[in-house]
Amino acid sequence: MVKTNKIILRTTLVLSYLLITSIILFLISSLFSYFNTGADRSEILHTKVERSDLYLPKISWKNDGNEGRFINNQTLQDVENDYLDAWYVKHIANKVNITSGLDDYYTKNARENLFNFIRQNKNENIHIEATTLEHNPNIEFFSEDGQLIALKDDHVVEYKKVFKDDILMLETTEVSSYKAILLLEDNFWRIRHLVKEKTSELKKVVTSSPIKIGIMKGINYYPQATPWNMYGESFNINVIDADFKIIEGAGLNTIRIFVPYEDFGKASVKAGKIDKLKQILDTAEKNNIKVVVTLFDFYGNYDVMDWTLNQKHARTIVSAFKDHEAIIAWDIKNEPNLDFDSRGKTTVIAWLEHLLILVKSIDKKHAVTIGWSNTKSAIILKDQVDFVSFHYYEDIDDFEIEYQLLQQKIPNRTIVLGEFGISSYGGFWKPFNSSKTKQAAYYKKIQKVLTKNAIPFMSWTLYDFDKIPEDVIGRLPWRFIPQKKFGFITKKGVKKPSFEFIAK
Amino acid sequence: MKSKNSLFFLFSWLVIHSITAQHSLTLLTQEKQFVAGSVILLEFKADHTKDYQLYCTNSYGSTLITSEIKNNKIIFKIPGHISNKKGILTWKVINTDPPFSGKVQIISKERPTSLETYLGPPSIEAGNTDFTMLVVIPTDDLDNPLKQNTEVVIKHQFLAMEKKEIVFTNNLIAHQNIFSPLKIGRMILSSASLGLNSKEYDVNILPAIGINFNIFSKRNHEYADGNQITTFYTSIIKDKNSNVVSDGTFVDFFITNKKGNILKTSGTTINGIAYAKMIHPEWEENWIIKGYIIGISESNSLEINYKQVIEKFDIIFSSNNRTLTIGPLISFMNQMIPDGLQVKLSIYKEGELLNDVIENSKDGFVVFNLNSNIYENGNYVLKVTTAGITKTFRTIKLW
Repeated sequence: MVKTNKIILRTTLVLSYLLITSIILFLISSLFSYFNTGADRSEILHTKVERSDLYLPKISWKNDGNEGRFINNQTLQDVENDYLDAWYVKHIANKVNITSGLDDYYTKNARENLFNFIRQNKNENIHIEATTLEHNPNIEFFSEDGQLIALKDDHVVEYKKVFKDDILMLETTEVSSYKAILLLEDNFWRIRHLVKEKTSELKKVVTSSPIKIGIMKGINYYPQATPWNMYGESFNINVIDADFKIIEGAGLNTIRIFVPYEDFGKASVKAGKIDKLKQILDTAEKNNIKVVVTLFDFYGNYDVMDWTLNQKHARTIVSAFKDHEAIIAWDIKNEPNLDFDSRGKTTVIAWLEHLLILVKSIDKKHAVTIGWSNTKSAIILKDQVDFVSFHYYEDIDDFEIEYQLLQQKIPNRTIVLGEFGISSYGGFWKPFNSSKTKQAAYYKKIQKVLTKNAIPFMSWTLYDFDKIPEDVIGRLPWRFIPQKKFGFITKKGVKKPSFEFIAK
Repeated sequence: MKSKNSLFFLFSWLVIHSITAQHSLTLLTQEKQFVAGSVILLEFKADHTKDYQLYCTNSYGSTLITSEIKNNKIIFKIPGHISNKKGILTWKVINTDPPFSGKVQIISKERPTSLETYLGPPSIEAGNTDFTMLVVIPTDDLDNPLKQNTEVVIKHQFLAMEKKEIVFTNNLIAHQNIFSPLKIGRMILSSASLGLNSKEYDVNILPAIGINFNIFSKRNHEYADGNQITTFYTSIIKDKNSNVVSDGTFVDFFITNKKGNILKTSGTTINGIAYAKMIHPEWEENWIIKGYIIGISESNSLEINYKQVIEKFDIIFSSNNRTLTIGPLISFMNQMIPDGLQVKLSIYKEGELLNDVIENSKDGFVVFNLNSNIYENGNYVLKVTTAGITKTFRTIKLW
């Protein structure tokens, strides 16, 4: 008995010793790590210079020489950075009516002119959201001591929205020419004088002779395993090639694919992603399939300060594929009208319009369209697209009338049904809603209308999917579960009855 | 004619806007060009009085202006900070259909009130090839650069020469290159435009790089005593236009001795002359010296000789041959050689060098002690060298 007690006592002592030691150790180490957190010491030295993508309008220097001293590339790059930053801080200052940042990019006399505007606008509760999309500067003169530059900036495309009491009063795009004098002060190229010499409103580009697209029988395409993530780690061109053979074999000639904005690297488009897109387009060409490329997927900001970045993204992609034979059209954005409420109709339309202008200016060969989500919005910018495209998920019985009404409103453009389809899901969340037979019946019926009216179409979609990203349709199970079953082919690769009506 | 109000009607450019019948606004203001600083009123006739907003934008920013109503006219008064700035002013009446807009041009005033002047570089090299640049931005009292092709007179004076040149503004600035004269000095510059004179600016004209020069030497005597100092110096170094080179020009002197080894000394110029010094050798020498401004110019070759001072010396062995007393070391007038002459003792045993011991002379003598703990008793070969002379003692017995 005594022995047992002794053992218990010893064990308790040893254990409590261990416990107390570990608690003390833990406390000391927490204290130690607390005093060692915070800024990295190397930051004191400012050794790395970070420049994030904030403002990247298209800038084309006219290198035709200049009076005075020869300007080297290093200096030109410095001037470019500071000159664009000067515009950027001016836009920010006019947006929020504060003057911070202006001191670095405008000399003492010049910044007074900006302060006057800010003072007035602040008093009257006016603010201006603006950006410039294009600059064509030309150094006219560089002084011998390297301290003064006279430059001319032609064809500056300036988009502006003027608000008073937070109500949009005016929206305008101006094209102007400026002359500027820049002085090198404190290692900044600061604007000393700025004179607007010419200005006019940007002429809206109306495509009077739209690019023809032929008879389009198509489908919206994502690989079965990687919907909404087509260019990721599990990219496999062989899978896509096999799918394209199925699509072509079914009698279809077109697919619609999506280019996600962030995944592609936003303003600095990643070369690897471009390469994957190229492989897809090359494979499509090999299989005699034309491609509608939808840009700006998963993008929804539309903020004026974001425009230059969006434009750079589009510029990079469109320039890379402007001569690709597989492309039939650029779809600027999928269902932008869904963002009208949250982002403002004017903003979204202006955003689309400037992208249309941009894409058209680069690629004159391929058609341009916008994938509206309903017939109501389809008339927006109808004269600026080459063909109108809209999506239809409403009652199939009204479709023919809706389409004909739209044709009356838009007589001079081909109207493409860019997305339509029905889920074959009929389970717990939506019992008796649908089935594979009902899906087949839907397609049979709509194909009759499509054939009768010779309507170009692209259905949704080839495969049933395993999972749908939350961003696409949300996390409500009665919404995303049916979304998985829109395919003509099941997850296991079995063709549903609807497959018979995929093309006719 | 110069008051603000009369300027307002000075230019009668006709603006005709196509105003459709259903439109209720008619522009009354006919002027399309204003001088900066004048009052700009945009007046409209309207059949009803209602507040309008006017968007207007110039070189620096944009804003909205609210209308005033006076005598059934709708008047927009452009704020001073906008009407003061040169450039295109675009306006647009908000919420009218069709859109009602126009442009006016604001030009700078006729005469400048300041000549913003930038001069650089501030010092240039004489000789007609280097130049400085004067940039002038004539601006009016509202800080607007004057119009294209404004005349600017650029004046400069140097010694007896005074010159005036006329240039015209282009891209808001006027500029002129001013080439350096042949002589050094200070050039005074100024500019003038339409009766306004700038303040005075100056540019230093500095000498150009030196051309080839001569070198000379100076010494107390020609003996190689290892004590006196020879000074080398240059002629007055000048540039190609005979300007004395800038003080501080660095001159290197390379000395090649009899064995072909190179010694180097250097100096910087003051008033064109550079001095450099070198201690005399300890034995007979023949030096060839050449001066260089590295990469720029060089001198002639100068040859100088040094005479041997010590022809012979005595060595006395004492304390079991372990103490060597060398001396007296006698110089050219039989005086004791100044302290510091180097004497070297080389100790050999059985054909093998054991040690070199170097001592400096003091009061004309040098004493070597060969420690018995280091150098055991026996036969040694000892060599004593000084002033280029070597004396050898074979089989000296230490005990």
